[in-house]
Amino acid sequence: MKQTQGVFFTGYVTIQVKGHHPEFFLNFCMKEKIPAWNIKKMDRETVKCNIRIQDIEHIRVMRRKTRYKITFVNKHGFPFLTNKFLRRKPFITGLLLSFLFVMVLSNIVWDIEVKGVNPEIENEIVEKLNDYGIQPGSMKFTVGKPGKIQQKLLKDIPELLWVGVTEKGTTYYLEGVEKTVVEEEEKNGPNNLIAAKKGTIVDMFVSKGKPMVEVNDVVEKGDLLVSANIGKEEEDEEGKAQDRELVGAKGEVIAETWYKVKMNVAKSTTYEVLTGNKEKSYSLNIAGFTIPIWGFFSPDFANVKTETNEKPFQFLKWELPVAFVETTIYEKINKKEQRSEQEARKVGIKQASQDLQTELGKNAVVSFKKVLHESTENGKVKLILYFNVREDIAKNQPISQGD
Amino acid sequence: MSKWQQHIGNWLTEHLELPSDVVLELPRITTIGQLHVYIENHRGIVLFSDQELRLKMKQGYLKIVGENFVLKMMLPEEILLEGKVTQLLFINE
Repeated sequence: MKQTQGVFFTGYVTIQVKGHHPEFFLNFCMKEKIPAWNIKKMDRETVKCNIRIQDIEHIRVMRRKTRYKITFVNKHGFPFLTNKFLRRKPFITGLLLSFLFVMVLSNIVWDIEVKGVNPEIENEIVEKLNDYGIQPGSMKFTVGKPGKIQQKLLKDIPELLWVGVTEKGTTYYLEGVEKTVVEEEEKNGPNNLIAAKKGTIVDMFVSKGKPMVEVNDVVEKGDLLVSANIGKEEEDEEGKAQDRELVGAKGEVIAETWYKVKMNVAKSTTYEVLTGNKEKSYSLNIAGFTIPIWGFFSPDFANVKTETNEKPFQFLKWELPVAFVETTIYEKINKKEQRSEQEARKVGIKQASQDLQTELGKNAVVSFKKVLHESTENGKVKLILYFNVREDIAKNQPISQGD
Repeated sequence: MSKWQQHIGNWLTEHLELPSDVVLELPRITTIGQLHVYIENHRGIVLFSDQELRLKMKQGYLKIVGENFVLKMMLPEEILLEGKVTQLLFINE
């Protein structure tokens, strides 16, 4: 029975053999090792039987040797079915078109939903998205990754504290959180201003309160700079503070302060620089195989930095194993720099002053004074630097009113 | 000569318990009720019709009589006959 198993898939035909004594034909089949089944005798001279597709050739050869008339009565099996199916061109084209259609439609942005923000900002977000080319109807693979959209939105709309972009099929869901401007509490109690750091006072602007120090005074950390008491304490002479009137002292006390900074600077450094030359190539990635579409030749850059951006195609909600890949190759140069001690010192000073600046805020004026100590060790220059900074050293110190 | 061969064959099957259909080149016929007849080791079809199947054997013929005969399968050396079998006859020339 094994011979006729699965015969539907390979295909078989029903033939009619006509001629004198058709049993002879059957014997012939047996001799040629051609399996036949469902053999029926129709009348004295005709026999109907089924044979496999691959045996048709043998039968043809046999027919030439004998004098039987063979007609094909019926065709069965998968190969014939597919043939029949494939012959219907409109049907096939329709099917292909519908697939294509669904695929194209699944790669289009259909909807953008913004949640969590007031209509004003929502509108702004939608407008910004339009500027980026994200709107209902745009192709999905021209749209960047959600993370990038997120970054762009945050940069362009300052009112947004956070925005989450998720891509769900053909819809982009955006969820935003606005920055709510919390009004600072104006009504803080009376306070003094004290020195946050040791320094020499250079300048003072006191808008509220009574200054207790003068320009060129040297103050220690914690010294009272501006007093909250603007009452008539002086007039009282007895030192009684009955009539004292407390305010929240306000003002800026600019002082010169000093900083010692330790720096280590390597004498030789290597760093990578992009030259600006770049080459873009596009390809299709089908289940791991990459088929280039544009940009076949890799540029002859000595060192390269490659950036790939892959955007998968979608079919309905499924991601197809087909992706559109954009590869950008940048030319890169490895720069090796050997610094002399002098240069290293320069770099160290620059670095240190930048660090100080970021630490102290942009209102501070950092100026380099001198190098206190310098030594070279293991190809590194160790520096101890001395900086002079003008900054606001006033710090609030609340006064408990003691009631 | 063939008689002498047959003699040895008979002796082999009796004393060495070898299957007789192989040694003596006899057909092996299996019937399932009246429905099926399964014949192995025959020497070709002599006649086939609705009511009769005649097969050549090494010696003589095998005649199967019945109704609605269909050769369900025909492989080299094997035949499966389907229908309503009424008689099985061995014709010795």
